This record gives sequence, structure tokens and C-alpha cells, in this order.
Amino acid sequence: MTLLGEFALWISLPVAVWGMVLGYAGGRSQRGDLVLSAERSIYAVFGLHVLASAGIVSAFLNDRFDYWYIANYSNANLELFYKVTGLWAGQRGSLLFWALLLGFFSCVTVFTNRKKHREFMPYVAGVLQTILTFFIVVLLFADVNPFERLMVDGMPVTPADGAGLNPQLQNYWMTIHPPTLYLGFTSFTIPFAFAIAALLNGRLDARWIQLTRRWILTSWFFLSIGIVFGMRWAYEELGWGGYWFWDPVENASLLPWLTATAFLHSIQIQENRGMLKVWNMSLVLLTFLLTIFATFLTRSGLIESVHSFAQELKIAYIFLSFMGAVLAVCVLLIVHRLPQLRSENQIESFLSRESAFLFNNLLLLGAAFSVMWGTMFPLISEGITGQQISVGPPFFNKVNLPIGIILLALVGIGPVIAWRRATKRNLQKNFATPVVVGLVTGAVLFATGARHELALVTWSLSAFVLTIIFTEFWKGTKARARIEGEGYPLAFFHLVTRNRRRWGGYIVHVGFVVLCCGLAGAAYNTDNRFNVQPGDVVEVTSPFGHTYQLTYEGLSVSIGRGQRNLLWQAIATVSVAQDGAPKGILTTEKRQYTNRNTQPMTEVGIRSIFREDLYLILSALNDRPGALSNQPGAQGIDLQVLIKPLVGWIWIGTFLLAIGTIIALWPSIDRRRAGAGAVAPHEAALAGAD
Amino acid sequence: MTLYLGVALVAAAVVLFIVQPVVKGIHASLEREDDEMTETEARKRVALLALRDVEYDFLAGKLDEADYRSLKAELTAEALAALEADDAAKSVATGAEPTATVDLEAEIAAIRRGLRAGTSCPECAYTNAPGSRFCSACGAALGELAAS
Repeated sequence: MTLLGEFALWISLPVAVWGMVLGYAGGRSQRGDLVLSAERSIYAVFGLHVLASAGIVSAFLNDRFDYWYIANYSNANLELFYKVTGLWAGQRGSLLFWALLLGFFSCVTVFTNRKKHREFMPYVAGVLQTILTFFIVVLLFADVNPFERLMVDGMPVTPADGAGLNPQLQNYWMTIHPPTLYLGFTSFTIPFAFAIAALLNGRLDARWIQLTRRWILTSWFFLSIGIVFGMRWAYEELGWGGYWFWDPVENASLLPWLTATAFLHSIQIQENRGMLKVWNMSLVLLTFLLTIFATFLTRSGLIESVHSFAQELKIAYIFLSFMGAVLAVCVLLIVHRLPQLRSENQIESFLSRESAFLFNNLLLLGAAFSVMWGTMFPLISEGITGQQISVGPPFFNKVNLPIGIILLALVGIGPVIAWRRATKRNLQKNFATPVVVGLVTGAVLFATGARHELALVTWSLSAFVLTIIFTEFWKGTKARARIEGEGYPLAFFHLVTRNRRRWGGYIVHVGFVVLCCGLAGAAYNTDNRFNVQPGDVVEVTSPFGHTYQLTYEGLSVSIGRGQRNLLWQAIATVSVAQDGAPKGILTTEKRQYTNRNTQPMTEVGIRSIFREDLYLILSALNDRPGALSNQPGAQGIDLQVLIKPLVGWIWIGTFLLAIGTIIALWPSIDRRRAGAGAVAPHEAALAGAD
Repeated sequence: MTLYLGVALVAAAVVLFIVQPVVKGIHASLEREDDEMTETEARKRVALLALRDVEYDFLAGKLDEADYRSLKAELTAEALAALEADDAAKSVATGAEPTATVDLEAEIAAIRRGLRAGTSCPECAYTNAPGSRFCSACGAALGELAAS
């Protein structure tokens, strides 16, 4: 099976090249037979990559440690689940997995467009096969072939056991986080392919955007939840109580999200006003390049470690040349088509929805640029001074927090400011109440003792934005109920279902606001460290005023018997009471794995309530050898107690964001439900703007 | 041996599958759909949708009467221009005389009738031929309403 998979990967290369050449040639010569062949080659490449992936998974399941990839990412005792997900545990498998997902999305695109939008399809097939060819070439020729045999001094060897999977990756969030992000990265290739096809075939109206709107949203959906899954993993598994550290790998996934968000907003101006055509083309190109960059960065170790850089030089050059080539081709195409990409309208006023959108775009791109700069800075500084100088979270926070706060304000302003030009009356009518609500919220929070400026601003703005969005929902529902004579719940339901894109978008905004409130809660994090013996009680006061009494009950140590690769495990049990009322038990532990010579790992204990998380970390054992040999006097530990206000709101906000995106994506079914009843003439107006 | 047989089979199947259209001359269509929107139609649609938006903003109480009137007058003028351009383009295409006057209200009424009959797309407002089940412009399902 594994050998068959390896051959399948090799066969996919000429097939992809064939499809690429025939796609472009078919588009140029308008020959349907060439195009059909190119489209079929997409199915073929996907089938071959399914075989190749099956080959890797089967190698994992059969403990084929004669393969470099298996020997480095698995061992005999690894749980079955992690063996299957081993396909994307490391760089080599991930690249194959990338190609597999892209092949899948390409098949969906070719299949759903087999009867329509045919004028785009030759070039779409060509572009998709170009990207697939690139990944196959990387897999086969950049020293990252997952089918490579393990060699020592030029001789193939088969070790008795593998090195095992990094214990930090043995967490369910880590098994779903990378594939979710990859779904987001790869699905963005489809809008890119349509954009290039539009540049090549000259159909430069908003058509390519309409055709790919769902793809763009799908990609954005996966990017968003993929990033948050990663935060969740860091929060649970890394054991320092944080969820975001502006780490290069995190930044790499944030970059395409920022530009994709900008793109989602700017396409609405092109659709509604026929403006920003060049800008949208540039954004789709930029986002696509950033997905490639992120794929490259997350798995190459280019920035974290200079040493791996030397080994990865080949793949770095291949990736960089590819990105450079794509960039050059796109710039040439855009310049070539410039006369047809002229704007149909001008922005009339600084105070208008268009300019709010534009401002949103500039801010998002500004954030993307600063993140990019901060991420690449170590490399740049190394290039110039010979020393890697990292910029830490303070840099990123300083730049991005103000940007985030202005964006938050725009989330409120955008939907209600008038298109074209807002008059003073329009502004007063829509902003008076929300501004008052925002100010009152700020004043109340200040009166109850909140003093952190940024957090206060964020929460006041959130109140302002939420008031605007709820007013929107309320006004829409009320107008519908009045005109249609429907009850409020039904009117509300129809309101949302008749224009899911608009109202789903609002729900996404609510999610974003809730998420921002949660992030601002970090301003009130508390962090206390205690050295405790069994029976000791420590008290920690929450910023909300209540006090936790934590009783350290003791340590239970178990020595692993080879299961799950555990060497030993020490679990500290802590009873939690809140203002004297018992709230159950939390455990936190240290464990050491047999493989990889890792430091002991920490598993944290978290108690989540709506307002805050109580987060316990077993930081250190006072006497590790004593504790491991179960000496009664050696149970003292360092217990770190964190209180993290509003952290749960981040996950709730993300959930709302996901729901809103799904609503916006949902295909039309409401028309059918409307039955035989006639649609009222004002239906169109009531559905509201896109 | 089995392995090489398997590889050969897979390779042969792939080659057959992708080469067949070229050898046998099976052609995929490359034509753009006939019933698809033209550029002038798309402009007309954007103009009419903008009118729809202003109407919504007014109905929902986001615009006051004065702002509504001034914006509506402006958008109506633009929509008229777009409609005339579309009519001119159509008459060039069909060789017929351009209609002398364009009745904007009638156009809007037609769109509303289309909505009532289910032929107007709920997603993009494109007016489809009666009996359509899916929108020709964006592919959204039109549902049972359009089936009659």
C-alpha cells in the first residue's frame, strides 16, 4: 500500500503538468476537448493523492519505521488516533495533506461548474493544476518527500522503534487545528483561480466575485475557527495560561485572515458601487500568497530556529521563487488589464459607508503589514546585522491594539452610515442612542472600579456596537411585522432568512464584539504563586470581588508502564471553594514522556464559569525524586493560580461568529417554505441591502 | 509483482481517463450561458438594488424623509440612465429601434412581479425566465414558486 502510494505521488506529477498545459492551451485556443481533458486530470490528481495519503496512513498504522517520516513522528506505543492523524503531524505529511485538500476543493469546483460558467473553467483548471504541480514538485524534489527511507551514512536502516510524536501535539485540539486551518488555506485557492481566470479571459465585472463568494466565506470560516482552535490548544496544553503569544506560526495564520477579512468587506463595494476593482484583485492575490507563505512558515521552522534554516534552504528557495513568480505574473496581468479595471464611481464623501469600508480595509492591511514586519524582523535583522533580534508581544500589542479598537468602532459605524454621503441628520438619528449607551456603560464600569483604559474603551465601544446591531435587528423586525402583519418572532425569522448574507454578517459582528470583550478581560488577569504542602489552604481574590479558597489535598504519583509513552505522572488535587461554598475538585499535573527527551510537561486544571476561568498550574515539584518514589514528606509543590476574567467569551464569540458565517453561507431554502403565498411587493425593500 | 501490476493498472486508468477527450474529440462547452446577465444588465441591477436599499433604510427608520428624498432622486436618475443604456444595448443586439421612453416605475414593478412569481432571484434580484428553478445569474435555488 505504501509503495503504491509513493508511485501514485510520482504519477500525479505528469498528470498535473498535463492538466496545467492543456487548461491554458484549451482556454487560449477555445478547444473543448483540451479543457475536458484538463478537468479530468484534476479528478485524476485527487485520486492519486488519496492513494498517496492512504499509503502514508498505512505506513503509520503498520509501524513502518524504515520511513524517515514515520520514524520521526510515531512509535509503536502511539495511540491509534494519533497514528491516523500523523498524516498532518509534521511538515512532510502536511504538504501532502495540503495537496490532498486542494485536490478535493478543485474537484468540487470542476464538478459544480461542469455545466455553467464555462468561460472561466479552462483557466481555472489551468491555475489549479499549476498550484498542485507546485506542491507535487516540492514534495518530490525539496527533500521533504514523506516516502523517503530512513538512511544512516547512505544505508537504509529500520530502527526498532520510532522517536514518537511530540507530546505537546498529543491533544485533540492539535489534531483538528491544523486541518481546519489547511481547509481555510486551500479553499482560498479557488477564488484566486477564478480571479486569474477573469484576468485571462477579460471578464472583469463583479462576476468572478459572485461565483466565488461562497468559497471566500467558506475559507474565511475555516481560517477563523482554525485560528481559535489553535488558541484553545495553546490555552489548554502549553500550560502558561495564555492563548496568543504573537509567535511566528500564529502570526502566519493571522496574516491571510486579516487580508481575507479586508477582501470580504471590499468586494461589497465592488458589487454595490463598481469601485475598487484593482484593489480586490490585489487583495485576492495577496491573501492567496499569504496562505502559501503561512503553509511554508508553519512547517519550515524558518524563523524559530536558525539552525533548521540551513537544512531547509532548498524548500525555502523553492517556495520563495514560486511566490515571486506568482506575484510577478499577477502584477503583469493586472497592469495589462488596467484599462478594464477602472472604477465606475467615485467616493463622494468622507462620511459614507464606502469610506467606512475603505477605512476598514486600510486598517486591516495596516495590521497585516505590522504583523508581517514583526514576524520577519528576526530574519531581516539577521540579514543586516548578522544577529536575530526578535520583536516580542509588546511591539505587536502596541501597534495592533489601537487598530483593533478602531476596527471595533467601525463594526458599529459601517452598517448604519448612509451609502454615498451621510448627512448630519443621518448621523444624529442613528448614533445618538448608541453613543449614550456606550458612554453610560463606560461610566458604570468606571464607577464599579474598572480603571484599565484600553479595557474600558473596548467595553464601552462594544456596548456602542451592540446597541447599533440590536437596533438594526429591532428596526428590521418591527418594519416587517408592521407591513407584513406578522408576529415579531416570525418577522424576525423571515428578516434573517430573506437576506442571510446581511443578517448573518451582523451575527458575525456580534461574535467579533463578544470576542473583543473577552480579549479585553486579559487586562484584569491575576497571577499568584504559592508553595504548598498537603492540607494548606490558599486564598485568591477575583477581580469580580469574590474569593477562592483552594485546599491542596496532595499528590498522587504513578509510574507509567509504557502506555501512551508515559514515564511518570504526578497529579496534584486541589479542592476549590468560592466564598466558602465548595465548588468541587481540580487537578493539575506534571508528566514525563519516555521519548524525545522532553522536559516534564504540565497539564493544567481549569474551572470555567461565564465570568472567568480559574486556572491552576502545577509549576514545580519541591522534591521530584522524593515524590516519584512516593516519600510521604515529598509532596510539596509550587502551585500557580491564575484568574482569567472573560476568557470564556472568546470561545462564545467564536461560536457566534461561526453561526453567523454559516447563516450567511446557507443555501436558499426559505423560498420553498414560503409556499404558494405571494411575495409582497415591498419584499425586496424589506429584505434590506446586501 | 502484484505491486507493479497495481501501479501499471492505476497509471493506465489515469492515462485513459485524461487522454480520452482529446483522442475521441469529446468537447466540453466553453460558451458563456445565453441567459446570463450582460454588462448593462448588471449595471441596471446594481442601480435598482441601490434604490431597494434606500427604500429599506427609509422603511427601517434609518433615513429621514429629507435624506430619503434627495438620495432617491439621485439614484432614480442613475437607474434611469442604466435602464436606457441597457435598452440601447439590447436594441443594438436585436436590431430593433430603441424605445423612446423608459418607464422606471414599470421596471421596478416588473421586478416586484417577478419576486411575487418567484422568478426574481432572492439572492441577486436577477429576473429569470418563468419556469426557472435556479437563478441564471448566481445559481441560487428559486424554489417551488418559480416552478409554475
